Amino acid sequence: MVSIQTPTRAATTVTGPTRGYRVFQGVNAVILTLVVVVTLYPIINIVARSLSGEHQIRAGEVTLWPKGFNLTTYKIVFQDGTFWRSYGNTVLYTVLSTAVAMALTTIYAYVLSKKDLRGRTFLVGIAVFTMFFSGGLIPNYVLITSLGLKNSIWAIALPNAISVFNLLVMKAFFENMPAELEEAAQIDGLSTYGTLLRIVLPLSKAVIATMVLFYSVSFWNSWFSAFLYMDRADLMPVTVYLRNLIAGATEGGNAGAAADQLTQAAANIQSVTIVLTALPILAVYPFVQRYFVSGVMLGAVKG
Amino acid sequence: MTNTGQLSRRSLLAAAGFAGLAVLTGCGSGDDVGDSKDLSKKRNGAMKKYNAGEQFKATKALSFSVLHNNNPTYPRKQSWLFWKEVTKRTGITLQPVDVPLSDYEKKRSLLIGSGDAPFLIPKTYHPSEVAFVSSGAILPVSEYVHLMPNFQDKVKRWKLEPELDSIRQSDGKYYLLPGLHEKPKSGYSLSFRTDILEKIGVSLPTTWDEVYDVLKAIKAEYPDSYPLSDRWSTNTVFPAAALLSYLGQAYGVRAGWTYENITFDAKTQKFVFTGATDEFRQVIEYLRKLVAEKLMDPESFTQTDDNAVKKLLAEKSFAISANPQELVQKYRYNLERQVKGAKIEMIPVPIGPAGEIVLGGIRLENGLMISSKALKSDNFVALMQFTDWLFYSDEGQAFCKWGVEGVTYTKSGGQYKLKPGISLMGSDPKAPKDLQKDYGFFNGVFTYGGSWQLVSSTFGPDEKKFQDVMARRKQTPIAPAHPLRSAEQEQASLWETPLTDHMNQNTLKFALGKRPMSEWDDYVTELKAKNMQQLVDLHNKAYERYKKDNG
Amino acid sequence: MSSSTMTGSQPRTGAAPDPPPDKKRPSGRRSWRRSLRRDWQLYSLAVLPILFFLVFRYLPMIGNVIAFRRFEPGGSILGEEWVGLRYVQMFLSDPSFWQVFRNTLWMGLLTLLFCFPVPIVLALLLNEVRRTALKRFVQSISYLPHFLSIVIVAGITVQMLASDGPINHMLTAFGHDPVRFIQEPGWFRTIYVGSEVWQTAGWGTILYLAALSTIDEDLYEAARIDGANRWQQTWHVTLPGIRPTMFTLLILNIGTFMVVGFEKILLLYNPLTYPTADVISTYLYRTGVESNSFSYAAAIGLFEAVIGLLLITSANRLSRKTVGTSLW
Repeated sequence: MVSIQTPTRAATTVTGPTRGYRVFQGVNAVILTLVVVVTLYPIINIVARSLSGEHQIRAGEVTLWPKGFNLTTYKIVFQDGTFWRSYGNTVLYTVLSTAVAMALTTIYAYVLSKKDLRGRTFLVGIAVFTMFFSGGLIPNYVLITSLGLKNSIWAIALPNAISVFNLLVMKAFFENMPAELEEAAQIDGLSTYGTLLRIVLPLSKAVIATMVLFYSVSFWNSWFSAFLYMDRADLMPVTVYLRNLIAGATEGGNAGAAADQLTQAAANIQSVTIVLTALPILAVYPFVQRYFVSGVMLGAVKG
Repeated sequence: MTNTGQLSRRSLLAAAGFAGLAVLTGCGSGDDVGDSKDLSKKRNGAMKKYNAGEQFKATKALSFSVLHNNNPTYPRKQSWLFWKEVTKRTGITLQPVDVPLSDYEKKRSLLIGSGDAPFLIPKTYHPSEVAFVSSGAILPVSEYVHLMPNFQDKVKRWKLEPELDSIRQSDGKYYLLPGLHEKPKSGYSLSFRTDILEKIGVSLPTTWDEVYDVLKAIKAEYPDSYPLSDRWSTNTVFPAAALLSYLGQAYGVRAGWTYENITFDAKTQKFVFTGATDEFRQVIEYLRKLVAEKLMDPESFTQTDDNAVKKLLAEKSFAISANPQELVQKYRYNLERQVKGAKIEMIPVPIGPAGEIVLGGIRLENGLMISSKALKSDNFVALMQFTDWLFYSDEGQAFCKWGVEGVTYTKSGGQYKLKPGISLMGSDPKAPKDLQKDYGFFNGVFTYGGSWQLVSSTFGPDEKKFQDVMARRKQTPIAPAHPLRSAEQEQASLWETPLTDHMNQNTLKFALGKRPMSEWDDYVTELKAKNMQQLVDLHNKAYERYKKDNG
Repeated sequence: MSSSTMTGSQPRTGAAPDPPPDKKRPSGRRSWRRSLRRDWQLYSLAVLPILFFLVFRYLPMIGNVIAFRRFEPGGSILGEEWVGLRYVQMFLSDPSFWQVFRNTLWMGLLTLLFCFPVPIVLALLLNEVRRTALKRFVQSISYLPHFLSIVIVAGITVQMLASDGPINHMLTAFGHDPVRFIQEPGWFRTIYVGSEVWQTAGWGTILYLAALSTIDEDLYEAARIDGANRWQQTWHVTLPGIRPTMFTLLILNIGTFMVVGFEKILLLYNPLTYPTADVISTYLYRTGVESNSFSYAAAIGLFEAVIGLLLITSANRLSRKTVGTSLW
């Protein structure tokens, strides 16, 4: 059975660690510490920069701790009504798009996981083909415009509803699920819909959590669809807003730009941006991570 | 194995898709714009008589769509006085389509490409309009400038015909309404730490030879430093793009971000390949000397702007490329706070072998395209008159720049002054209002060119000094028109990228000493292998053809 | 998709229990009717997703016809006139194209070689950590780079490698001359792949950790009873347990082999490193800056797509024949 439901299995283990395994644990700890250090250094640096004064940043003094503590950039961003509206848009777009994407991806992945379904190769082929062949920008734009989706949230949610990558990963998970369960469910008189809803989905929390994370992160960070299909600044997500802010702050270097009208390059707008966009996802992450816990428990007791 | 059922279904689906897309796109372009010369039916809302210097006022309320480059420094607000005042004065309501500045070109190309473009498409830099010429999506404005008295007047008074000729296409028409300047306005030059120069007893250089001497003197005093560490090497395909552009100017050659593969050689009356000219080689040799003697930081050609500025502030370097804004707001502002007694100043572009010149053509600024769809509208004449007033009349230009007299500014004796409580680009940090952010004036979308009096009305003291010197220099003649046909253009642009790449790569190799100068001829041979001669011939052919066709 | 890859039944040797192998496939219309009757609920579930693919993926694809028709920006989106293989010939005869093509292959190969296995190793290592809190901490930290924009990652990379950056400090400390990494074509691939691993390794573990969490604990129990040590347990239980995920990802990675990080390369390269750094997408970008050569880009895009499709179908077939995992 899938171990998600049985995290209390801990008590059953008895075997003590061998010496070789202890050595391994030591080496492992060193490696993972290294990973943490290498990963963390630039990130702490970014957080520190986001809180530092402009000339300390320019002089390259900021490393791991904010110097010349300064919240001006945060204030500039926070005081701007557009920022909050964009943030609201992002939340809305992410939630709706993820919901649509999860629904479509899950049902299609489930269908494709049925190995003896007739025409399955064709159904997979339809999806895989689109990983490589896609329409250009202009046809896509014309399509969305003709469907009347421009300036609507559906222009963001619909065209990106299925990521073939996620679809295939999810399909692999479903295929790996014990078939007896479903057969039993069907013998109990559950329809296909019922089996999917009552048997398969509850057993797939880990993959569902992963997919929700994948989709929401990608929708949260995406800017291109909104940029293409939205004509009004008040419909833009926060990514477009911040992207534009960064461009404005660094535009001085652009050959063509009217330099006399682009001023005040804020030294830490990029780091502030990173912190602001990554923070919410990181805040949500622990709640999703709950679903990976079973694996953790497993690791915790196996020694 | 393969079964036929699938195949036939697939083709069926494809056919259905085709039909669908055909419906979607059926109403695209392609239909003729009608008799473009007969404008009598397109005078809805237009003034019967409209002359230069006159206030345009539509005879009935109209609205025109405009592509709005949304600058994050002053994001668009519907409440801007600008919108209201435009409507009040002209009877026209502007309907902006917001595009983030970060990706303006991309969206513009998409909107025009899909036939969804607004009537007015500002902030267009020549030659980006060329791509849209052959499809007919963009109005050949030169055919309709007779509706624009202010535009014509300025072209005539400021003798801008040769400049306009240079942007004509192979049909002899031009498709861009550029911003018009009375006098050339320069952008970039070198800046030096003047306190250091004083300390070691040298004065600011005026020629490139003196620049070399000054850098050498700094090096002698600070042997561990690179006296010059430059920027503007990222976000552009050209390394040290600013430095190369004004250093090149001193040698009379387009380099850096003014680089064009093709240059007109006035002596032979023929086009030649810029990156293979003698002048270009001299520019590279000059840089090579600086790098070899460790007067210039080799990272100048690859580092980010931030890093270059960092070195300046940490006193690892003492000279850097500048423009008046960066000088004041970034270098001086930060230096004064971080380095005791630091002073920095920007010099007029040092003079080289070509004498006191500026490169020709810089009196045209970016400008606007007009969508061909506008011509089909009944309001076409009114649109052109309105455009003429807003972008080209003295009154319209002053309005776009300074706003409303008595409300945002006062004027006495030709001097503009902001009303108290209004700031422009930090001129008064304590002011509660900002001319750009809160009123919508001085907006890059609507403010271009103008008389020297108007243009210079916003110069700070540093910029004034710089521009006054630069404006006195002689302009080099403009290359004659040599427009390519659209198929030629396509071929040329495929040749140009590898050529530009090779030029850039070898500029760096030569300058950094990674390739001996003795291999210059080999480099030219390599260029030839990349179709250099074919490209040059193509342009010379186009030049001859244009001369024949258009006198 | 080539029809030869659409073979029907396949042997299954995956770790998970599978239904008995397919019966001999009935052919003809009648059997279709039968499977429709039996599986109509499944087919009904597929309707919406298929509609999605048709409308939002296949319909715009028709625009690719401009690879063979001359497209003028602002003209018809299906191009002006047929030009046959002119654009294909254009890039095939362009020496610069072959150089960037080679670079693309190299970069893709190196990315695959390093970015694919590292997350697996990391996930297995994480899986051996016994303290839950510690494991979670390491996990969360390792995800962070994924959220950094490429601009920042490139910025960090350049800073680390600058002549006065930490890496050169180390080099000089060991008596080595400082190296201007960013200007050396020989270093570019290492730099690119290194920063790619740094950015993607942690996030890449998520899928494996999710897969690990679904391995049946009884299997370990059984292995232990059989006297397997930790290493043997990993080899015989853990790895087979994540094998479907591994191979699915491997096949997908091989298929998207040609898609190398355009933005990152754009931010890291410079004319001096073009000989190794310039890839198809960056080359197209520079060509595109000059004029909107949509047709040329579409032709190259199709070329890339065909290669991608060939790669994925062969990887898929190979994987199906050898380990029994396949995408279809």
